[in-house]
Amino acid sequence: MSEIRITINGEKRVVNVDDDTPLVWVLRDTLALTGTKFGCGMGVCGSCTILENGKAVRSCQVPASAAKGRTFVTIEGLSKDASHPCQRAWLEEDVAQCGFCQPGMILTACGLLRQHPDPTDEQIDTALSDAVCRCGTYPRMRKAIRRAAAALRTQKKP
Amino acid sequence: MITSRRAFLKTAALSGASLVVVFDGKGLLGAEKKNTAKKDTAKKETTGKGVTERFKPNGWVRIDDDGTVTLTIGKSEMGQGVRTSLAMILADELEADWARVKLVQALPGPDFKRLGTGGSFSLGGSWKPLRQAAAAAREMLITAAAARWKVDRAACTAANGAVLHAASKRELKYEALVADAAKVPVPADPPLKEASNFRLIGKPTKRLEGRAIVSGAARFGIDTKVPGILYASIERPPWRGAKPKLSQDAKALAIRGVRLVPCAEGGIAVVAETTWAALKGRAALAVQWGDPPKGAFDSEAHFKRLDDASEQKGFVTRKDEPPAGTRPAVRTIYASYFYPFHAHAPVETMNCLADVREDRCVIWAPTQAPNSLQEEVAKFLGTTPEKVEVNVTLMGGGFGRRLAVDYALEAVEISRAVKAPVQVLWTRADDTRHGHFQAASAHRLSAGLDSTDTLVAWRHTKAGSPHNLKLPDPAAVRDAGFYQDLSWGVYDMPYAIPSVETAYVTVDLPVKHGPWRAVFAPSSVFAREAFLDEVAKVRGVDPLAFRLELLTGPDTVKAGSLTIDRPRLRRVLETVRDKSGWGATLAARHGRGVACSIYDGETHVAYVVDVAVDNAGKVRVERVVAAVDCGLVVNPIGVEQQIEGGIIWGISSTLLGEITFRGGAAQQATYADYGVARMRDTPLIEVHIIPSQATQPFGMGEPPVPPVAPAIVNAIFAATGTRIRRLPVRPDDLKA
Repeated sequence: MSEIRITINGEKRVVNVDDDTPLVWVLRDTLALTGTKFGCGMGVCGSCTILENGKAVRSCQVPASAAKGRTFVTIEGLSKDASHPCQRAWLEEDVAQCGFCQPGMILTACGLLRQHPDPTDEQIDTALSDAVCRCGTYPRMRKAIRRAAAALRTQKKP
Repeated sequence: MITSRRAFLKTAALSGASLVVVFDGKGLLGAEKKNTAKKDTAKKETTGKGVTERFKPNGWVRIDDDGTVTLTIGKSEMGQGVRTSLAMILADELEADWARVKLVQALPGPDFKRLGTGGSFSLGGSWKPLRQAAAAAREMLITAAAARWKVDRAACTAANGAVLHAASKRELKYEALVADAAKVPVPADPPLKEASNFRLIGKPTKRLEGRAIVSGAARFGIDTKVPGILYASIERPPWRGAKPKLSQDAKALAIRGVRLVPCAEGGIAVVAETTWAALKGRAALAVQWGDPPKGAFDSEAHFKRLDDASEQKGFVTRKDEPPAGTRPAVRTIYASYFYPFHAHAPVETMNCLADVREDRCVIWAPTQAPNSLQEEVAKFLGTTPEKVEVNVTLMGGGFGRRLAVDYALEAVEISRAVKAPVQVLWTRADDTRHGHFQAASAHRLSAGLDSTDTLVAWRHTKAGSPHNLKLPDPAAVRDAGFYQDLSWGVYDMPYAIPSVETAYVTVDLPVKHGPWRAVFAPSSVFAREAFLDEVAKVRGVDPLAFRLELLTGPDTVKAGSLTIDRPRLRRVLETVRDKSGWGATLAARHGRGVACSIYDGETHVAYVVDVAVDNAGKVRVERVVAAVDCGLVVNPIGVEQQIEGGIIWGISSTLLGEITFRGGAAQQATYADYGVARMRDTPLIEVHIIPSQATQPFGMGEPPVPPVAPAIVNAIFAATGTRIRRLPVRPDDLKA
């Protein structure tokens, strides 16, 4: 049991958890941030994806002890009002079916677009194929990623 | 327990495995009757904002005097978009303002006795009763406005949340009519809108949960939190009757807060204050289950049994005697097809939160079968269903798995033992290994050709296993209807062939198995549509043209209780032929395949699939052109999504994954060894929705699945000349 300080969605949080507690359970059980989902616990499905410095991270693979002092963004912190270009694109393309994997997918897409602002199909395949959507929303996800990429590029232009 | 579509309507008491069950007329009237009394239709409520009034003519519709329209959704949302489409039906008929619509999920109980979501039956079954309920409310509002204005009610209309009197250009918002409308008697048979006046139905409509989903606010079963919650992870016996040989209880108990609770069927629940402590405790327990008994279930041995069984005569589910003058078959082609075991593998694993108290029990469950769950829990606790409150959460995928209530009973059992609210969470491995699997089957087919190469005889025997989540009902009559319900896609073969005989052979299957997306159809349609291509090949004809040729003759034919509509099936086939560029020459090791099916006599789907097979034998589905006729379309976006999702599901089960058993236990545990399609496996998908003159919608959750596998294997044959008769496809069989 240790006192662990982390920054989540811009807020400094102090939690008392076992050192080996994966971050996904710190977020879900301790901080009640349930937008981050548990799907497999072994880094295979992508449901627990969050962002660190804009990079997608599997929160089930980060023990609390290693998360100490780091700064993360969860789906709840991506925007206040679902206005992030990825969230907007997801809504415009009607991507979600059951919706369970979608927070992880959206944040995975955010990570991809930070690295590749105008991703090729292959880059989309590579970044997204580590994640599972059992409803099969992939065709719409691909469209949403393209739409979000275009929106982000426009946003960045002076 | 048998999943019988027709039995659903009759089955009031929904048991575990039955899909089911719509609010048929009776359920609706039940709700109406209770609520037609004046004290119920208008209620003054004291809230923080003061006294509010509401109009609640039945269980489905409620309008508050602040203009909020609350619609009750009696179906469980698992990604099929049912909350949105049912709300569209209610709001359209009610002439409600879509922007003011709010949804509540129905609670099983006296008002809602037949909740249950399955069989792709939500739209077809809800269509009329929901429209009647909403129309009754609309007519009452019109009556109230006409009385207020002292005008002929026939001169008044309702639109977009208000009643209008065109002659005097007056308008009253629904919220202004709430108190008066509540005093109007509920009409028994209100007029329904003409289809030409639909405002929402047929219009592409975004999912109502969309915003909550993308912002992480949507609450699934796993997200339920209550004060004092404990978490449980259960070590379950890997095969039925397994006993722990070794268990490190002391090590588990050394973890902070961990308690051990024995469970039914030999499981051990590890209960703790956090999910992680429960998972750690379970790992520390390190249960060793000993060796499985000799003769424990083995899937390879089972395939052998299925194969043998498919050679038996079985119960005849259809027999069309050839008309006099039919030429005899001069040659016969035979083939056997095999369909594997599958798991449902929803991304949200099984879970349930139960809070069992002295006098009542509250449950939060991602469930497709709320009434059945309520009844089973009541039975388990030795109480009555009224004492069990079941809150239906959003589900991270259902696919039929959540028609069973095993995971809820576990939560109840543990909560009772520890006297606290307990959330049971299955790990990914639990979910994969302890599924209620799609049962494997074998199909023996033969086709007889006469001296002119005309297909004159068709035989298809399916050897499979009825669902076993419940003990078989001893009173169930084992008649043709019984076996037809196990033979979707076999006995309802749509083609015009003079002599047809189909049969079903039951093979015992000791592992748990139940409904999976499209239930009994995927294996049957795979075998039928792939074998038909074999016949086309032998005849040397184009497989798509061959199908069209076989869909001539009488436009409608009876198969069991279904009516097969050949022109509708022809139309989806012609559409994919025209839209796909069928007949074009493709590159080496590229191929194009076709397949079609009618799901339960209702939704018609055809695909043309393009595949590329690399030299290592790996198959990539490059493009799918789909045509669907699902009757009247409620939400075109929903239809497209289900086609897309159904194709991806079919790619998973055709190319990527299967569950196998050794020593009585499933051998796969994760998405790594039970493969499901990913972004990289996703083809281009083009969906064509056939405009339909139908007066009602049909289901879309399951119908897209069955024709995927045969279209893929037919394309593989076109690409490689290799005929796949057992799924999943193995690259080793397709090496260049």
